[in-house]
Amino acid sequence: MTTEPTTRRYEMVNVRQGYLIIEQENHTFARRSYFAAERTPPLEEYREGNQFWKPHEAAQTFQFDVRDTTTGEVVPFGELVGLLYYACCAKGTAVHQMGDLAHDQQISLYVAITTEGAEDSGPLPHEKVRVLNALFNGRLTSPRKKVLILPDLFGLQRQITYAQVAIDFGLTSME
Amino acid sequence: MKIQELAERLELKAATKVFDRDVTGVYISDMVSDVIANAKAGDLLVTAQAHANVIAAANLVDNCAVVITQGKALADDVVKMAEKAEIPVFTTALNRWQMATKLYEAGIR
Repeated sequence: MTTEPTTRRYEMVNVRQGYLIIEQENHTFARRSYFAAERTPPLEEYREGNQFWKPHEAAQTFQFDVRDTTTGEVVPFGELVGLLYYACCAKGTAVHQMGDLAHDQQISLYVAITTEGAEDSGPLPHEKVRVLNALFNGRLTSPRKKVLILPDLFGLQRQITYAQVAIDFGLTSME
Repeated sequence: MKIQELAERLELKAATKVFDRDVTGVYISDMVSDVIANAKAGDLLVTAQAHANVIAAANLVDNCAVVITQGKALADDVVKMAEKAEIPVFTTALNRWQMATKLYEAGIR
């Protein structure tokens, strides 16, 4: 007896290539990041009130939305910077320990990292995390394998470097 | 075709333990974001990147194995990460185009 593959309920749509831009304020050293879907990264210094922002880092990356194939609803993921694999975190951190335990059950743990500094920045809402989990688990074919994506309830956004996130930070120089 | 058989035919050097499974396709990319967006489960990922995030991406999309081209070596922590994720990684002195040609000749489409 053969099993027909189940139709995936979610699909990645509106894939946009662009850049993750990280800016730093000159006096307070506050940081913020955003996605720029432009052909070249907008690396410009500018004033905003009494603040002076300048580019800190930039890297190629992408953004996407997720479409529910049964209802047609599109869930935007503009605030998602990337996914952090637990094994890319330092040993001894909570995420690494949780990932290690999850791994024993064939579950690969990732944390959804969002843009920093914006007014609406914060962990990805649970509903969106559920959609991401459904999207990526729906793509798996290994029978025992599972992916578990968690919102960043750990404040990792402020602790990690972007090179730890599964995006193209530091990878495009080919060094 | 299974990974082990393909590796032997193409004279790929195993950098990790080999966790054998079917190779159902190939994806060639050096961008993690591109792999996450477009690679499919069961694809053999061919890349010049030997970074830990390549393993993170290959694991996320359930690639069957990774081939690192141009003779690049993997750091010990990347080898451990790949083995734990049961993603076999191979290295080859060939470049990506040469690797693509060999894969096509081996019947992987």
